[in-house]
Amino acid sequence: MQPILKFEQVEKRYPNGVQALKGVSFEVSEGEFISVIGPSGSGKSTLLRAINRLIPITGGSVLLDGQEVSGQRGGSLRALRRKVGMIFQNYNLVYSLSVLQNVLHGRLGYMKGVKGIFGLYSEEDKREALALLGELGMEQFSYNRAADLSGGQKQRVGIARAIMQKPKLLLCDEPIASLDPSSAKTIMDLLHDMTQRRNIACIVNLHQLDVALKYSTRIIGLARGEIVFDGAPEDLDDATIEKIYGTSRENLMIGGGGTLDDKTDPAYCA
Amino acid sequence: MSQNTNECISLREERARRENRARIPVKCAQRNRFIPGFLIGVVVLSVISLLYLQIDWLKLASRVPDIGEVFWELAHLDFANMDLIWSSLIETISIAVLSLLYSLLLGIVFGMLAARNVFRIPVLSVLTQSFFTFLRAVPTPVWVLLMLVCLGMGPEAGVAGLCVHTTAFFTKSFAQSFESIPDETIEALEVTGAGRLGIFCNAVLPAALSQIVAWSGMRLETNFSECAILGMVGAGGIGYVISNSLQGYDYGTAGVAILLVFLVAYAIERMFVKIKKKFN
Amino acid sequence: MTKRIPLIARDLKRLYTGFLIAAVVLFVVCSLLTGFNVMTLIQNGDAFWKFITEDFLPPALPKASRIPGVLSSVLVTLALAMSSTTVAAILAFFVALFGSEKVSPFPRCAKFVRGFATFLRNIPALVWAFILFSSLGIGTGVGFVALCITSFAFMVRAFVETMEDVSQDCVESLQAVGATFPQRVAQAILPSCLNGFLSWFLYCVEVNIRASTIVGMVGGGGVGLTLFSYIKSFRYDIALSIILLIAAMVIVVDQITSRLRKEILK
Repeated sequence: MQPILKFEQVEKRYPNGVQALKGVSFEVSEGEFISVIGPSGSGKSTLLRAINRLIPITGGSVLLDGQEVSGQRGGSLRALRRKVGMIFQNYNLVYSLSVLQNVLHGRLGYMKGVKGIFGLYSEEDKREALALLGELGMEQFSYNRAADLSGGQKQRVGIARAIMQKPKLLLCDEPIASLDPSSAKTIMDLLHDMTQRRNIACIVNLHQLDVALKYSTRIIGLARGEIVFDGAPEDLDDATIEKIYGTSRENLMIGGGGTLDDKTDPAYCA
Repeated sequence: MSQNTNECISLREERARRENRARIPVKCAQRNRFIPGFLIGVVVLSVISLLYLQIDWLKLASRVPDIGEVFWELAHLDFANMDLIWSSLIETISIAVLSLLYSLLLGIVFGMLAARNVFRIPVLSVLTQSFFTFLRAVPTPVWVLLMLVCLGMGPEAGVAGLCVHTTAFFTKSFAQSFESIPDETIEALEVTGAGRLGIFCNAVLPAALSQIVAWSGMRLETNFSECAILGMVGAGGIGYVISNSLQGYDYGTAGVAILLVFLVAYAIERMFVKIKKKFN
Repeated sequence: MTKRIPLIARDLKRLYTGFLIAAVVLFVVCSLLTGFNVMTLIQNGDAFWKFITEDFLPPALPKASRIPGVLSSVLVTLALAMSSTTVAAILAFFVALFGSEKVSPFPRCAKFVRGFATFLRNIPALVWAFILFSSLGIGTGVGFVALCITSFAFMVRAFVETMEDVSQDCVESLQAVGATFPQRVAQAILPSCLNGFLSWFLYCVEVNIRASTIVGMVGGGGVGLTLFSYIKSFRYDIALSIILLIAAMVIVVDQITSRLRKEILK
């Protein structure tokens, strides 16, 4: 099976000299649920944004669905971007618009000219958006202003917007970092179910080790811009964790009882 | 029960009909309906205004090439009259600074009178505020012109004229800052038996200090540009040099003066941004 | 041991002391440079007062035949302010889109756009008016252009700041969706920033009402010119009633804009 995403020796150096990614290589296939873990500043966000070229890379190549990302511009870049849904820590909704309008933004990549500018979405799209909101349990909020929702509800709108794109790959940049533990669990469950049902590959940046262990089929550990671990959650041992976070396991706050087998509710962890 | 189901069915039918025929709405149920009306109103008013002004656009457009010529002339900086330019620039800056400092003192005093929570005499606050609202409503150059008439040429007229407007501005904004101090704070001090003035000096003023500095910085910017144009309505300073040399076709000198006005204004703006950062 | 106990944090205290010293030094230097002394002002108080009571009071109406002209000059001033602010706001919106690194499709040009706006903004409106008078001739049209220039430059800065505050995040998310630049503008920037833009627009109208009076004084027409001509011809009592008229005009406009602002930000 052809991989959806392929990183080959990707490098990113910011103009201020910070080397965010150093020779990163990995592949993602359909239906995978990958967690990227690592301390703050290890390059997790850069890695995610390199995939849809929100941040241009300085070396190597990113292949999305067999196409080189870094060479693309204009229309072809947008066509690539709409294959990739993205979910943000701060939800990044347009708060003065209705929930439905925010969800429909997911279709903008498919629309041309005046229709997209004035937001004249087709009835088919609208029906689909309403159905999607229903699936997420948000139908009754369709005509509320996005600003009036709670954090967990906002993130659900973010998920709906990303799914509206009909993506092959979903990128989640710390989707639960601003949420309380119970909303965080709801969001992770929804993410997991929706992507598995639609066979969408999913890459999630996480600070919470126990959440990563519970949901992912594969974990990538990032430290100082390099991949130090890439494998199944079962293979993540204490030595590797120490290598990722640069400190021993005892110094990390990990949700639940603190053992690897303890896969209880997700909670805040460092 | 059956009625209920009937209602349900009719609701569903209606929705199905709506989905098939009418378009599904996407906008917020509770959006601000005022804004579209406001936008239309603004556009209509502006079009009427433009028609009322009866500007001869063709004549204006035909002279547009002249603008390029004037800028070309202005760019040929002429430093022959530097003495005059320097002295008038320094005079302008001094007048701006002096009027700011005097107004700062006056503004604190009048702001104290105008704030409702310092002396708690509503009549006093209302009177002070409405008086200064009037002073603020008349543009600065008008005041300077009046002062010129009353006091004759010289820095006195400039400082006094600028002070009128600046004091009025400070009174309003300081009073606002003073009033933003919670009543509980003042009550807590009243309980200790402190006098009105004591409370003002020890609690209200220090709490508003950072805002006062911010307002002053902002006002210095305005005061300088106001001061720079005073010369053009008949007072002295750098504005007089600019208008005089422009009218005498001495574009080189005017260019230098305008450039200096820009540099000083820019420097004040940068300084103010720095100070604001320090306070945050 | 006898050191006094400080009441506020030391660096804050140093900051305030610095400001105080700077203020005193500036005061002394400027007073010396200009030779300005409050005492002379106070000594002249009598003459000043006499002047006010005899020449200005009571306010007199201009000749009945001139009254419609005066009123129409007020309308000219209002129309000048209104139309120039609207034109400037529309231009400023489109330029501001290119003035922020985070929003503009050409991030490298953003600095130049902002620099250009800074240049235009820091030269007072009246100086622009004079430069334009010497090329375009005296008239209402030139006043209009001069007002446009400064309010345009002011709004470019205000709009860029509003956009960077409000819509940076949602612009990123629409970029990730694959939306084009016009789509991002219409679907993310405009809905999220419109309230802020309109609030700045109203502020600019307030400023321009005053500015158009002044530009009028030097040749732009309107009520400023009327006032100037009465002062030039020593009819101070009539000038006073014109000043009252200007004050009334400004206060009414301020009241209206603050009402509107409340409605918009609701």
